[in-house]
Amino acid sequence: MTDRKTSWGVYAGLVFLLVLTLFPFYMLLISSFKHFDQMILEFWTPSFPLHGDNYASAFRQIAPFIWNTVFISSCIVVGVIIISSLAAYSFVRFDYPGKNALFLLILSLMMIPGFLLLIPQFMLVQKLDMLNTYQGQIFPPMAFGASMATFLMRAFFEGIPKSLLDAADTEGASEWRIYASIVMPLSLPVIATVAILNFLAGWNNYIWPLVATTGDSVKPVILALSTVTGTLDQGISVKLAGYVISSLPLLAFFFLATKPFISGITSGAVKG
Amino acid sequence: MSASLARLRRNWKGYLFLIPVFAVLASFKFIPFFDALRMSMYDWNGANVKSYVGLANFKELVRDATFLDSLGNVAGFTFAAVIIQLIVPLIAAVLVFHVTNRRLQQFFKVWFVVPLVIPSIIVFLTWQWIFAGEYGVLNEFLKVVGLESWTHAWLGESKTAFTSIVFVNFPWIGGINFLLYLAGLMAISGELFEVAKLDGMNAWQRFKHIELPLVRSQIKLILVLTLINQIQSFENVLVLTNGGPGTSTMTPALYLYIQGFSYSRLGYASAIGVTLFAAVLLLTWVNQRFIRDTDKID
Repeated sequence: MTDRKTSWGVYAGLVFLLVLTLFPFYMLLISSFKHFDQMILEFWTPSFPLHGDNYASAFRQIAPFIWNTVFISSCIVVGVIIISSLAAYSFVRFDYPGKNALFLLILSLMMIPGFLLLIPQFMLVQKLDMLNTYQGQIFPPMAFGASMATFLMRAFFEGIPKSLLDAADTEGASEWRIYASIVMPLSLPVIATVAILNFLAGWNNYIWPLVATTGDSVKPVILALSTVTGTLDQGISVKLAGYVISSLPLLAFFFLATKPFISGITSGAVKG
Repeated sequence: MSASLARLRRNWKGYLFLIPVFAVLASFKFIPFFDALRMSMYDWNGANVKSYVGLANFKELVRDATFLDSLGNVAGFTFAAVIIQLIVPLIAAVLVFHVTNRRLQQFFKVWFVVPLVIPSIIVFLTWQWIFAGEYGVLNEFLKVVGLESWTHAWLGESKTAFTSIVFVNFPWIGGINFLLYLAGLMAISGELFEVAKLDGMNAWQRFKHIELPLVRSQIKLILVLTLINQIQSFENVLVLTNGGPGTSTMTPALYLYIQGFSYSRLGYASAIGVTLFAAVLLLTWVNQRFIRDTDKID
């Protein structure tokens, strides 16, 4: 761009805004290591000794629910990738009557807001006897992720040279082989985008599990946080430690794969 | 005719690849959608009572004081969010864009995005603690700076609850809109800024004449996204206030949830959903027209 030096005003403004943005999480982090007396005496600064026992007892209470969330989110991701890539392959590879209408139908389902479906989906899942099950928390979110994913994957598949697929066809490869051994391996970037988008959404799901689960057996971690408690000495810090623990997996992914994460998040927004 | 038959014979497998996605979409979106429309005309508690009542739910809705309050609230939340989301993330994006050191630019970009990666419920729970009456972060801060008389149970008093909800996520940067703006700015040709430099433009002129006009499509997108998201908002109020105190932070979507799952008035809740859906559709349509018209003028 330009060779000018960035002015100090820009840096000052950015540092100020960044400090404000991250301050709540700084408070969350330092407070999660305190006991009640440290919270009162040293509110704003880290206080020693750091109390790892907060984390131990928070982890004991939420560990099974973290496993639930990981399992549910992973199933949503795999499910969305399978059904959406198959549909996208169909739209790119074949030419049949009603193709565009069917594609538009899939896209238009994005217009239906989640709250409108909350009650009928609940009734449906109840009727299918899927309340308090994993599948009850997997299929409805899959339906919410599938439209966007089909859209993104179709756009990506369009970029794969047709001649490559036709060549495989004349070599006698079946459509299934072309899909599984040529198109999918070439599409890892878009698969990563779709995976990140749906994993984030799956981890964040709150209302649907709140409605679709009652007991503890299949509850995701986000719902379990409200029941985390500590001893009198520990105070609310155990709860705060629980917040940190359940944020860590996503944060770790984010810092390991910043670029696909950011492009995944942005392409997910542009559905409007 | 025979040509299209031949085409069909070659391409019928295409339908097979569509079966899984349509199986899922039909069962969990399409059918529930029509169920919602139908149920809005029933008096239904999910168990033994189920009778057709025509438009009675909608008639009750327009006289329901809580629902009307919630409409006022959502209008207020939406108005505040639109102003905030159009301006604040843009300021941050412009500042980050003008950091010339690439590594520092990447650093700011990544760290501003961190709140987006933290589950939204955890962000809400963190702000619940910030606003808490006893040992809440905000009240402790006010005590430190000698404004003890200003402390409140921020979410528990009807005077302050609404504003507190608006201030969740302050300074409102860590979100998708910041990224969208930044992507828009990055797409502006570097030559434009060279010319601006030669012309001796200052930062404000550059913003007004180059950056602002060229992120116009992002501004429109963010306007639409903010409107649609705000109309649907209820996780924040569900976690932070449950619509209270009284109805001071009730939103229509939260009211739907409460009517449906606390009072088992499934038909009435569906009527709220259908009304909201109509509002979303109307807004989308207005926006489409509005956007198309401005594009034509250009």
